[in-house]
Amino acid sequence: MRTKWLRLLALLAALSLVAAACGSDDDDTEAGSSDDTAESTDDAAEDDAMEEDDAMEEDDAMEEDDAMEEDDAMADGDVPCEEDDVLCVGLVTDVGTIDDKSFNQSAWEGVQQLGDAGAHVDFIETQDSVDYGTNIGTFVDQNYDVIVTVGFALGEATLEAATANPDTYFVGVDQFQGEAVDNVAGLIFPEDQAGFLAGALAGLITETGTVAQVLGTDLVPPVVAFKEGFDGGVAYTNPDATIIATYHPGGLDVAFTDPTWGADTARQALDNGADVVFAAGGQTGNGGLAEVAKEGGEAFCIGVDTDQWETVPEAQPCLVTSAMKLITPGVVDIVNAWQAGDAPSGNFIGDVGLASYHDFASVIPQDIQDQIEELTPMVLSGEVSTGYTP
Amino acid sequence: MERLAWRQVLLPVLAVVLGLVSGGLLIFVSGDNPLTAYGGMLEGAFGDTDAVGRTLEKATPLVMGGLAVAFAFKAGLFNIGGQGQLLLGASFSAWVGFRFGLPAPIHIPLALLVGGIVASGLGALAGLLKATRGTHEVISTIMLNFVAANLTDWLVSRDGPWNDPDGGALARSPLIQDSAVLPKVGGLPTGFLVAVAAAVVIWWLVSRSTLGFEVLTVGANPKAATYAGISVTRITVLAMGISAFLAGLGGAIQTLGVNERFEPGFNTGLGFDGITIALLARTNALAVIPAAVLIGAMDAGSTLMQARTDVAPEIISVIQAFVLFFVAAPSVVRWIVRLRTGDDDRAIDLGAGWGAA
Amino acid sequence: MTTTSPAPTSPASAPGSARSLLGRVRVDYRILAGLAVIAVAMIIAYQWDSQQTTAVAARTIREAAPLILAALCGLIGERSGIINIGIEGQMLLAAFVGFMVASSSGNLILGVMGGMAAASVAGLFLAWTAVALKMDQIIAGTIINIFGLGVTSFLYVQGRTMPSVPNWPIPGLDELPLIGSMLFSHGPLTYAALVAVVVVHVALFQTRWGLRTRAVGEHPSAADTVGVRVYFVRYRNLAIAGMLAGLAGFALLQSASVFNRGMTNGKGFIALAVMIFGRYRPFGVLSAAVLFGFFNALQAQLQFRQAFDIPPQFFGMIPFVFTIAVLAIAGLRTRPPAAIGQPYEKE
Repeated sequence: MRTKWLRLLALLAALSLVAAACGSDDDDTEAGSSDDTAESTDDAAEDDAMEEDDAMEEDDAMEEDDAMEEDDAMADGDVPCEEDDVLCVGLVTDVGTIDDKSFNQSAWEGVQQLGDAGAHVDFIETQDSVDYGTNIGTFVDQNYDVIVTVGFALGEATLEAATANPDTYFVGVDQFQGEAVDNVAGLIFPEDQAGFLAGALAGLITETGTVAQVLGTDLVPPVVAFKEGFDGGVAYTNPDATIIATYHPGGLDVAFTDPTWGADTARQALDNGADVVFAAGGQTGNGGLAEVAKEGGEAFCIGVDTDQWETVPEAQPCLVTSAMKLITPGVVDIVNAWQAGDAPSGNFIGDVGLASYHDFASVIPQDIQDQIEELTPMVLSGEVSTGYTP
Repeated sequence: MERLAWRQVLLPVLAVVLGLVSGGLLIFVSGDNPLTAYGGMLEGAFGDTDAVGRTLEKATPLVMGGLAVAFAFKAGLFNIGGQGQLLLGASFSAWVGFRFGLPAPIHIPLALLVGGIVASGLGALAGLLKATRGTHEVISTIMLNFVAANLTDWLVSRDGPWNDPDGGALARSPLIQDSAVLPKVGGLPTGFLVAVAAAVVIWWLVSRSTLGFEVLTVGANPKAATYAGISVTRITVLAMGISAFLAGLGGAIQTLGVNERFEPGFNTGLGFDGITIALLARTNALAVIPAAVLIGAMDAGSTLMQARTDVAPEIISVIQAFVLFFVAAPSVVRWIVRLRTGDDDRAIDLGAGWGAA
Repeated sequence: MTTTSPAPTSPASAPGSARSLLGRVRVDYRILAGLAVIAVAMIIAYQWDSQQTTAVAARTIREAAPLILAALCGLIGERSGIINIGIEGQMLLAAFVGFMVASSSGNLILGVMGGMAAASVAGLFLAWTAVALKMDQIIAGTIINIFGLGVTSFLYVQGRTMPSVPNWPIPGLDELPLIGSMLFSHGPLTYAALVAVVVVHVALFQTRWGLRTRAVGEHPSAADTVGVRVYFVRYRNLAIAGMLAGLAGFALLQSASVFNRGMTNGKGFIALAVMIFGRYRPFGVLSAAVLFGFFNALQAQLQFRQAFDIPPQFFGMIPFVFTIAVLAIAGLRTRPPAAIGQPYEKE
């Protein structure tokens, strides 16, 4: 009995010992800060060099390197957000990573554009949904002016932080605002309209009369909106077409990160006779796009969220277009308006639409392109109903 | 006696230090300053009362998950189903929390108990299948993880019975009532105390009670247990039930103390983490607590580490792997630090229960 | 700590008797009966709707392939006396290294080899901890899992692409009704999985290698007495088994064409279930993996065709509920090799 307790106490003591050891490490850092300075100078020099590179290929401004770089620049450095003349913009991701080729990345690209315009920017990747509040709080504590939170799941934590910190401005991507709060703008999108246009196109270009959807999970409202909009679009242009759709059978934690399932399911859809596959589900969907691409032009695929011609190059052999949510310009517009003293609050409806056809502009018959062009303003204005009710 | 205790502590401490050093090397190689990173982690985990509160909050489900795995090991059973059991416990405690209005002294224990009991049903099912049909618990608990995840997802999905009417189309339950919220005392979560109490109870159960003796006997040698008149079926079902109860209670504490509602997809790593912690603690119920605090501190500190450097938080898993390695390989630690001690480290043999039907 | 494994009397592969060591093929009639039922059901289904049946059959095999390879990795380890619960980590490491190599070299063969090498090194690590350090094997496997997930997530940077793995329809055979799509129109790693079942079966039950492997797994001290180098066999076999896990990891890339953090999504653990369900026998593994693959294919198909108006979460439960149900009804008791999980020390 006594030994057991001793062991427990000793283990706890051990823990604190380790803690103490780390603590002294920390002190060492501060004491020996000359090393540190040297290092950060190096970093800065590197950054400069890289920025020049970047300037030469502006198109690639959104490369991952850039993300690392912004981060490097601020690492170890003092965060200058206490000064009034520096605009500081922080971004908190949903569970997932900053380079997800999807909404986290799109929002971060918007923030980076603000960074290019002189703002001080940084991001925190959320590991566990329990940490939303903590991660937002980390930026609040550092006196950030604007905090962008990405994903519907952060809505509540964002509102809580906004109420507690009325001087900080919050942008909530994909966060529907029930009642307007002065310092929160919810950037939301009519995904069903983008889905409808994609569906309309799919209905027109299918030859087998079967179109498929490979989807993330119905637990996430935008996915459902995309899906039901797509259903409506197909029915609008091709009422006889068969639509086969399946959601990922796993929960939130795997539904968007399972490209193998996406690919196998897309293949099963092709085996079912589908010749157009709409893949809406992050990495899961991207796997589906890549699988359809293996058909070498025999089947078409449609991407989602961003123009996936750029983000998923392996899908280019089949990618006719993408049902886009323009998150990047939405974030930039909101923050710019806030800076101009005209801060939006409540819901800010971002733009949606179809991406360029790229190489398929010469494959898709002109009359189909014309029909979509004609249909687009009617859908976006609400004149043609998508059939989706939230 | 004293020297023995000192040695038993020295090795784990060295293991943790070596684990951190190994992780630090990786951080250094990837172009960051390990000291800055660890400094951030430490401050984020223990810097002030809030930070300590967060660490303990993180550690709480880890204690429970670790206990669940550790207890099942005692009976020679490998419960990989902690994740599913946690989800059931979390969702059902949320249901009691939002559905019923009761005074707090009744509401909180009731919600905790319901969560634990429903989860224990899932574990007992795996135990029953094992004892009566020979279905290996590793298979059944893995499969039941997926079943439980889908079931709880559906319960709060927009077509599900427990969906939050005020949540738009969001998949989540309503907030639990105030009377069901586990309070914080001085910024520190009471849920952690519940977890510590559970660890003490399990320690007592294993080392002092008749049931514990039966469990250990079945774990060591089911045949001998049968000869001794112990019902292997009863003990298997009971051990899996208790193990799952612990995991479910972890989910319930998390719901009542932190999330205050049920949302799909939280704490997804618990299945993994529970195994890690049980092994770090060498299946000793009391040692589960510091092991969980260690892992919880790393999790809690990762936010600030990320904000200070650009070290991706995934580094934590790598460090954990190193720590676990050094804990389990004392001979390597001795070799590295040229430590001369007797071979007082007892080998642990968890594999014994692996195949026994 | 000398191993004194109790001499088992009636285990699955009767290690005590020399006759069985020489390789008696034992067929489990319950699994066979299950397969027969599925085959008959497939023919009937094909008469009813050839397209849907073909789609499900093809998905079944595609879905089963990585599970087969991963479960065979576990099987060889266990047959050699070492529990491997680190398959998940091995697959992730293989997928990561395979992707990085394929992506930077543009060569898929190099990628596969890189993946196999990575998983093989992890296998050697497991053997080293078990043989040299006498570490508990559950812990060692857990270390591989945590390390695999952590290090690949930490090092991975998005934005790379690799050449996609082509499908290799086998000319002449792929046009056969049903069977053509099911067996002869897949990617190379799917074929590799099917071939591996036969190879491992023959090797395990018909060769000296297999005899020694099983001897080491069942009764290492007896094997030692007759001159089998127990440690060497364990190192070598874990390295070979790791290569199979490497193929399993690359089989995920064959579908996905891209690496993703945590992309195994528990397949390594499901492979453990498949191995136990398959009773530590290659054809048992094949049956179990096919069964699991079938339920996965079925759930997608039912959702595609809106066969029932139930929430997608219930479709998602189908593979898991049915696997448990099949196991419970069949009442398959498994008995792993006798010396499993125990360090062996020479006397």
